[in-house]
Amino acid sequence: MSENTTLRMEGILKEFPGVVANDHVDLSVERGEIHGLLGENGAGKSTLMKILYGLYSQDDGEIYFQGERLDLESPQDAIDAGIGMVHQHFMLIPRLTVAENVVLGEREPATVFREDAGEESWLPASIRNNGLVQSLAGTFSLGLDVPEQRIQELADRYGFDIDVSAKIWELDVGQQQRVEILKALYRDVDLLILDEPTAVLTPTEAERLFESLERLTDEGLSIIFITHKLKEVDAVVDRVTVLREGKNVGTAEVSSVTRADLAEMMVGREVLFEIDREAVDLGEPVLRARGVSAEDDRGIEALSGVDLTVRQGEVVGIAGVSGNGQKELAEVMAGIRDPTAGELVVGGTDITGAKPKRFVENGVSFVPEDRLRYGCAEDLSVMHNATMKDFGGAAFGDRGFLDYGKLESYAETLVDEFDVRGVRDVTETAAGDLSGGNLQKLILAREIYRNPDLLIANQPTRGVDVGAIEFIRETLLEQRKEGTGIILLSEDLDEIFDLSDRILVVYEGEFVHETTPAEADRERIGLEMTGGSGGESASDPTATHAEVTQESES
Amino acid sequence: MNVAIDVNAREDVPAWLAYGTPVFTVLAALAVSAVALQLLDVNPLAAYATMFVETLTTEFGLTETLVKAVPLILTGLAVYLPLKAGLFNIGAEGQLIAGALAGTWVGLNVSLPGLALVPLMFAAAAVAGAVWAGIPAWLRAKWDVNEIITSLLLTFVALEIQSYLLRGPMQGGTGNFPQSARFSDAATIPELYSGVHAGLLVALAMVVVTYVMMTRTRLGFEITFVGSNHEAAQQAGMSRYKVYLLVFVVGGAFAAMGGISEIAGAQGRYRAAFEPGYGFTAIPIALLGRNSAVKVLLAGLFFAVLFVGGSSMEVAFGVPAALVEIIQALVILFLITAEFFKNYRVSLDFDRGPSGAAVEPQGGDD
Amino acid sequence: MVSFLAGLLDATVQAATVLLLAGLGELISERAGVLNLGVEGMMLVGALGGFIVTVVTGSYWLGFAAGIVLGMVLALVHAFLCITLKSNQVISGVMLTLLGTGITTFFGSAWVEESIDGFPQIAIPVLVDIPVVGEAFFRSTATDYLALFMVVVVWYFLNHSNLGLEMISVGEDPEMADTMGVSVFRLRYLAVLIGGGFAGAAGAHLSLAFSQLWVPGMTAGRGWIAVALVIFAQWRPRRMLVGAYLFGLLDALQLRSQSLSLTLGPDAPLASLINPVVEFLMTPQIMGTYPYLATIVVLAYAVIRTKSDRLAVPSALLQSYSRETD
Repeated sequence: MSENTTLRMEGILKEFPGVVANDHVDLSVERGEIHGLLGENGAGKSTLMKILYGLYSQDDGEIYFQGERLDLESPQDAIDAGIGMVHQHFMLIPRLTVAENVVLGEREPATVFREDAGEESWLPASIRNNGLVQSLAGTFSLGLDVPEQRIQELADRYGFDIDVSAKIWELDVGQQQRVEILKALYRDVDLLILDEPTAVLTPTEAERLFESLERLTDEGLSIIFITHKLKEVDAVVDRVTVLREGKNVGTAEVSSVTRADLAEMMVGREVLFEIDREAVDLGEPVLRARGVSAEDDRGIEALSGVDLTVRQGEVVGIAGVSGNGQKELAEVMAGIRDPTAGELVVGGTDITGAKPKRFVENGVSFVPEDRLRYGCAEDLSVMHNATMKDFGGAAFGDRGFLDYGKLESYAETLVDEFDVRGVRDVTETAAGDLSGGNLQKLILAREIYRNPDLLIANQPTRGVDVGAIEFIRETLLEQRKEGTGIILLSEDLDEIFDLSDRILVVYEGEFVHETTPAEADRERIGLEMTGGSGGESASDPTATHAEVTQESES
Repeated sequence: MNVAIDVNAREDVPAWLAYGTPVFTVLAALAVSAVALQLLDVNPLAAYATMFVETLTTEFGLTETLVKAVPLILTGLAVYLPLKAGLFNIGAEGQLIAGALAGTWVGLNVSLPGLALVPLMFAAAAVAGAVWAGIPAWLRAKWDVNEIITSLLLTFVALEIQSYLLRGPMQGGTGNFPQSARFSDAATIPELYSGVHAGLLVALAMVVVTYVMMTRTRLGFEITFVGSNHEAAQQAGMSRYKVYLLVFVVGGAFAAMGGISEIAGAQGRYRAAFEPGYGFTAIPIALLGRNSAVKVLLAGLFFAVLFVGGSSMEVAFGVPAALVEIIQALVILFLITAEFFKNYRVSLDFDRGPSGAAVEPQGGDD
Repeated sequence: MVSFLAGLLDATVQAATVLLLAGLGELISERAGVLNLGVEGMMLVGALGGFIVTVVTGSYWLGFAAGIVLGMVLALVHAFLCITLKSNQVISGVMLTLLGTGITTFFGSAWVEESIDGFPQIAIPVLVDIPVVGEAFFRSTATDYLALFMVVVVWYFLNHSNLGLEMISVGEDPEMADTMGVSVFRLRYLAVLIGGGFAGAAGAHLSLAFSQLWVPGMTAGRGWIAVALVIFAQWRPRRMLVGAYLFGLLDALQLRSQSLSLTLGPDAPLASLINPVVEFLMTPQIMGTYPYLATIVVLAYAVIRTKSDRLAVPSALLQSYSRETD
């Protein structure tokens, strides 16, 4: 431990039901450095930082900051200690101005009452310094003049181009992020945590952010930079710590490792299951997507003109770190998100821009990533959820009527065949009562039993117990034999390798690499997933990382 | 010694809590209202005896109850159905009035034999109510404009229009009173038995229709699903837009039929002061009958008993019938509170302090 | 004509005061994220309570204070249900209106016979002599002046005090406010209680100054109009003033529209077409619909326009808040 170490997290342990998010993690950050925290989703980066910021409390382990042991019970404690956080999802009130957002909670009194007012105030200092006066003034008045000046100074010093009296909704995303940073700077933080800050920025904005960050560290501020993009690590990070599955797998100086090394650390080599995959004859294309572009919920482009063809009996695995357009890709293919460009042809029928119902009718099935939000109604029974897509079918009743008896037996069939456990009675047990694995099995059952032409499975084994994982993967392969074309999106490379006939790597909304399990090089894939080769055509894994900042976006 | 109140989300709702809630709620409401009675020097037990026993054991009490039940059941359904889809129809009163006005207009201006006229009145009422409810529904379905506020405001608009029509274009009868002309025999809903009119059959029929729809049709399935998670529903191909419109429009029609049956069946003419508040009573009715149209029927009957009993109590004890409003409000109050206890378990932790031994008896429920 | 105008203005001012007091309170509650549909009930409770206390003690100010306190008591129930128990705000509010109406009708029948002189009118010298408007605006009760003063106070509070800023933040993004160290619970409780106090004050003004008597249900829907007014004013205090006067004017016009003929002479062009329409639009009851219709239009406008960033509705309105703990 050098004298320059400003933060030390030792042996941090944090468990949630069923998963160890942080497994005795150590982290040390030096003063004035930009320290990267690298890892896949679920590796534990967010949890670790939320502990540091006081949103969570650790089950075991200590935190030392600037020489003192910290006991954080709320974000306020963290701020008081000098630790600030810029969240991925901004916490800003659009209706208020920059200054108002920044000073919220600080109880800045009107200038007249300020203790540091000096000449500007006609009130004698003895009155101003009185505790009761300060308290009342802080509550019932609001002085923005001095704070605005201070904020503007801070902004100018670090090159933020912001008008402090502008309303938040008037600012663009990059500027809003800077307001988030200003919130922390205003409170004199010494350590700033940035959670995937470039997720919402354009490349140019990201560059500007990096410039600002360097200026900040020049002045002695320390920064923890959470990311999953190797490109960024190269661009701005001094040292990087890699987390994988809750453990710290190593810390390194960025200048002395290659991207390949980092990718390997991030992604690992464990193989969980050996699955036999038979060769299957591929049939006609069930999906032809051309030039598909789409925006995410914020209106930023998430998919940029992708082409995708899936044949009968083919599993196309899409590898990538969450946040590179997979969600939007899955939703567009399933019909619940409209593409902004391109066309979608399923089984010969053009259903670009059609309502979800048409997709369902054309044999498209979908296992969504967020199963509680899009995949089921957790308050309703297993029976309701099992028949969610098919209750309209002729098999269940004449004309408008519905035979609940048939629905019930259908649900029971699904539960039996797909080994959904924890169901006492399909009409009484609610979907929300099932464990993650069993709920996923139910959803999968529902989507598969209708014998779809195209199945889109987005993170089908995430948050699922080991036994169910195996079952789900085998089921997918079974369905493949039946001739269904499957799009499998997963962050788990092993899963992709075990199940896919073809592998596509998605990065920042585009397919950057295509290969098959037989030919694939795991390190290469890991690299592509994190933007590693970024334009380099050579697949030489030992290539060094230099000349990063000059790379262009493709 | 420290007492800490611990609140934990429940995983399972114990059966006695789930089924007993309506009963406890009502009992609690009656108990608290007893205090109000006591404050006016009225013996609560005697008052409640009049309210319930007399109402349920005399012929007059029973027939009056059945008459009062008709609009209550129908407006109860009008709030219940949108509730199943996750929406709040606070404007049932306005829909009731729209229907009453439309039906009355037809009844007074169209000459047809009774067999044809009365159904036509009901149809006109249903259409008017459907339209009145359709406005907030459309604003919500298409633009996500809060249906609570819009349907509520439209209620007051309806009340004003009612006042205008009955002092103006629809004013009739002898003298210049703010009321309509008396209904002809053809326009009067036929009487079944001693004051109980055929509107009761309509109400019962609508209960059956609603029950069948919700439990045996695809539409009911869709409504239930959209009400539980509309995002998943849309992913599955269901239409939130269609469901939102449908439940409000049908609900509006129900409330409207309640309105016309009250005017043409019980009242005999439309008085401008008609402001029964059934549309608001419908809220606790729908909440009590949350899970089934049949329960709405039962809740509607219960409140009818309350209303009739309240009137007789007023006559017998000189105590304002407003007590019924108080009971209604308390029923809602205890229902909401019970909802909380259904979802959370509250326990008390007693910490013995210096001795270090922590004792944790579980107080609260369960 | 002049006396008609003077009378109209006088009635407008009086009607506006009630709406202002109730509306300002509701505005604060809603800006903090809690919808209070119990205003009507709280007004009635304040009206009856204030009346009783005044009759018994002989003091108008004590009665007024009692009205405020009683309004706050009912508001406390609302706050507890909605904030602590996280119940549905709509149901709780409607329930409190029912409760307030029921309780006041039940207990109030004994007080209908009583009458009082009411708050004395205070004339502001010089200003009161201005022709036409002088009497209307400058000879009013203390509570009328108070209502006007409260517009300034509320405006200042929300826009120029830290407590007001925090209250707004709690109604826009409670999670963000929580992260910044602001107590969502405490601020929402405070806002709801203030709202109830204002509603009680409005009710007390109604029985002690406006009508000088007590009649069951005397609020006659003014509580609902106040709720509509807040929406109409897009949750801004200064617009509340304009809106209150507008709605108050409509209220005053309703009673006087018969003696006002705005129709064209029978010889004027298109008279036969325009006159019936104008007559219809000036009918008292039809005029009664205008505040509600205007509010629906304004609400729809605000919500639809929100999609293009004109954020008027407090974002977290109607949402209960609980900190997500691990």
